[in-house]
Amino acid sequence: MLLDKSILELAAGLRQDEFTSVDLVNECYDNIAKYNDKINAFITILPRETAIKHAQSVKLTSPLSGLPFVIKDCFNTSGITTTAASHVLKNYIAPYDATVYKKLLTAGAILIGKMNMDAWGHGGSSENTDFGPVKNPWDTTRVAGGSSGGPAAAISARMAVFAIGEDTGGSIRNPAAWCNITGLKVTYGRVSRYGSIAYASSFDTVGPMAKTAQDCAIVLETIAGVDPYDATSSPISVPSYSTLLNKKVSDLTIGIPDEFFQAGLDPEVKTAVLKVAEDLKNAGAKIKNLSMPLFDYGLAIYYLIGPSETSSNLARYDGIRYGQGREFFTDETTRRILIGTYALSAGYYDAYYKKAQQVRTLFIEEYKKALTKCSVLLQPITPTQPPKIGELMSDPLQNFLADIYTTSQNPIGVPSLAFPCGFTKTGLPIGAQLVGPMFSEDLLLNIGYQYQQLTDNHLKSPLSKGDLEGLKPKL
Amino acid sequence: MTITPIIGLEVHVELKTKSKMFCGCDASHFHVEPNTHTCPVCLGLPGALPVPNQVACEWCIKLGLALGCTINQDSFFERKNYFYPDLAKGYQITQLQKPFAVNGKLDVDGRLIRINRVHLEEDTGKSQHVGGETLLDFNRSGVPLVEIVSEPDLSSPEEAKKFLIKIQQIVRYLDISDADIEKGSMRCEPTVNLKIDNVFTPLVEIKNVASLTGVLNAIQFEIDRQTKQFQEDGITKATGEKTTRGWDADKSVTFLQREKEGSADYRYFPEPDIPPIVFTKDQIEAIRATIPELPNAKIVKYKALSLSDYDANLLAENLAFSAIFEKILGGSTNPDFAKFITNLLIGPLKTIEITIDKINPLYFQNLFDKKSDLSSSVIKQLILESYQTGTDPLVLAQKQNLFQVSDTGALQDLAKKVLAANPQAVADYKKNPQSIGFLIGQLMKASGGSANPQVVREILEKLLK
Repeated sequence: MLLDKSILELAAGLRQDEFTSVDLVNECYDNIAKYNDKINAFITILPRETAIKHAQSVKLTSPLSGLPFVIKDCFNTSGITTTAASHVLKNYIAPYDATVYKKLLTAGAILIGKMNMDAWGHGGSSENTDFGPVKNPWDTTRVAGGSSGGPAAAISARMAVFAIGEDTGGSIRNPAAWCNITGLKVTYGRVSRYGSIAYASSFDTVGPMAKTAQDCAIVLETIAGVDPYDATSSPISVPSYSTLLNKKVSDLTIGIPDEFFQAGLDPEVKTAVLKVAEDLKNAGAKIKNLSMPLFDYGLAIYYLIGPSETSSNLARYDGIRYGQGREFFTDETTRRILIGTYALSAGYYDAYYKKAQQVRTLFIEEYKKALTKCSVLLQPITPTQPPKIGELMSDPLQNFLADIYTTSQNPIGVPSLAFPCGFTKTGLPIGAQLVGPMFSEDLLLNIGYQYQQLTDNHLKSPLSKGDLEGLKPKL
Repeated sequence: MTITPIIGLEVHVELKTKSKMFCGCDASHFHVEPNTHTCPVCLGLPGALPVPNQVACEWCIKLGLALGCTINQDSFFERKNYFYPDLAKGYQITQLQKPFAVNGKLDVDGRLIRINRVHLEEDTGKSQHVGGETLLDFNRSGVPLVEIVSEPDLSSPEEAKKFLIKIQQIVRYLDISDADIEKGSMRCEPTVNLKIDNVFTPLVEIKNVASLTGVLNAIQFEIDRQTKQFQEDGITKATGEKTTRGWDADKSVTFLQREKEGSADYRYFPEPDIPPIVFTKDQIEAIRATIPELPNAKIVKYKALSLSDYDANLLAENLAFSAIFEKILGGSTNPDFAKFITNLLIGPLKTIEITIDKINPLYFQNLFDKKSDLSSSVIKQLILESYQTGTDPLVLAQKQNLFQVSDTGALQDLAKKVLAANPQAVADYKKNPQSIGFLIGQLMKASGGSANPQVVREILEKLLK
């Protein structure tokens, strides 16, 4: 299958006329036709003819030229519906393009679909959507993770070469882990947010989701950089990440923060994540156990500031302009708006929003301190294996706790690479994350690439029968 | 019963930057076809992000400096959350905790009125109510707006009006806004209450005041209304609530708009889409260096030239006018010359549009030096003609033989002869001064037609007294 190949292999194949962009597009649409009904990854599938036409006319100007991709449905794409998975924007067609989408179009990539997600990014399972839950390609009775569940499931089921997701508190990493793909939560400001429908403005990041760290590096090179339309985008120059992957890990120290491996972490997940440390140690890296005592506060900071910002960001959907009113918000979204409104209200502001910001400052220091003791931090992504559909939705608090390891980085702004690190006994994917200092995407991708040279978890797909002993595609 | 009005003003000034506060849209909106100066940002579309206008930030600081404020080097924007149809995002980007400028003061006729803050924000769209429907125009949405908040130091409607005029003058001196109240580029919301003996009446904020006279009248109305109200119900600031009243200019009354204003909760928080704005000391000093001499300083300077309070104020009214005055004055400190120029500027030259480039100070100096040889009306005539033709007024006087007529000794002798020769006309004049025309004609004839009729009239009038 062409879609098992890496971006570099595909780019080379296109240039050597081994296959065409149309072949790639057709393979995507064939897989969509076969499997999307079972996993519900798409909100909008662009007409195959449109994509084929695009593929026929594309010039090979960049490694991404001619490659079909999908994008989370929170990114504005002019002429194509953008819903943020909410009926509030059911028929909304934006008159402008998100910067990330524009950059990919310029690079010659071919959009084939807009992906399902938790509405407005509110959730970690892609069940809080008005378009039906996304199902995990590895077990369709289970969730794909969220909020970027659609993109992750689609990459996993080989429906596109790469995807663009959005991560506010784990939204790229959590579904990457549960769908066995690689995803990068970038440093805040590394990629423009312009045109990405906001969840929590000071946490939101736009990043690549693909099969490998190398693929993510190539996509990031294209989408990163300062944007005059985003005042929070960073002017720091963009390294050519894909050429910086070959450094050995031997002079690195991998930090293991104790607090991330305590009670509440599924033993199978714990074992698989710690195995990453072992593998990197075998490759020459040093391992350092350390402590991040403020870890417990991460979730609280996230669930005060995130909802506060979202209560304001979603105020514009007042029923006057977008056709559908506030009554179309889901319970989960309403809950977050209410929490945020409460936290910002006179008399409560100091105790909640302001206090959370103060603790955030301490938390930033905590991460800085931890990252002086090591090169990167190794952490789990989710405390559990992918839950059954409906489990998290019936327990809002449990739903919040599912984000405990991934809400810790967004208030800080640091980047984090999520990648496959093994499978449960029942054949469900497990992911790990490496967290580095601000703007250390080059380092994270370098380590991820080196790790993926040593291991083959990332090569396994739910479609490739027999690749893994005992695993049968449940499609 | 001693009644002291306590008045504070919130003044909004629309900056005349080319583009809007947070996007590249054309900021003009007066008489512009609705919704043509808009983009995803000022329409508040999903995913759009605000990028602050650097010039607007600098102009806000400039105004803050002009009002003697302390500048916050570290400033940031905040969101003020409320629902209104013309508020595209459901929040207004403004400043609360760290405005660009704080703690200023403005001298209004010798009284120092404290300025609480000068901050920058965005304007909202406009709602138009047409035939039972509300139409929204977002051309104004996102236009940069500076808010100047005074302390409640003003104590009369007249003083409030003067304060407002001062602000208007300063803003125009800085060339950062048209500050046109009628066009809405300057708006004012007075807050008024009274100190009656030792108690205070509840605060009232007045909205929809759309002219200087409106400010004056609305405040006066509130003073009278609150006095009466207090006498009726005795409700004080402590027992009552802050209310908002609208000004109805047609009926000249304020009417209740909103009660319990104090309980409004805008859930302010720092705008996460815009990083904090930092200005270095050097940057602030560079902005300060662009501030021209301001009206109050000019008034002091002009009064030192023995000009009257009235004249000094008039000259300082706008920068272009005072610049012309100062150009003509040059380095002179002669009070007579200053007065001479002033009379011409606020007299004949006020009747036409003048530009500084066409002003030749030398001509004024020449005219001043010869003023005893010319009548005041001739001087007025000459300066106008001189300005319009670009010719030295003395050359003009020469050409038109206007000097000759100022040889009043010779003319006077002639006049006496004319009067002696026309006793009937003199008698007619005593009954009807309008009949002087005949005598003027006779004297002109006697002078060979070269006399200045104005001078002729003056001489005749003097002799006939």
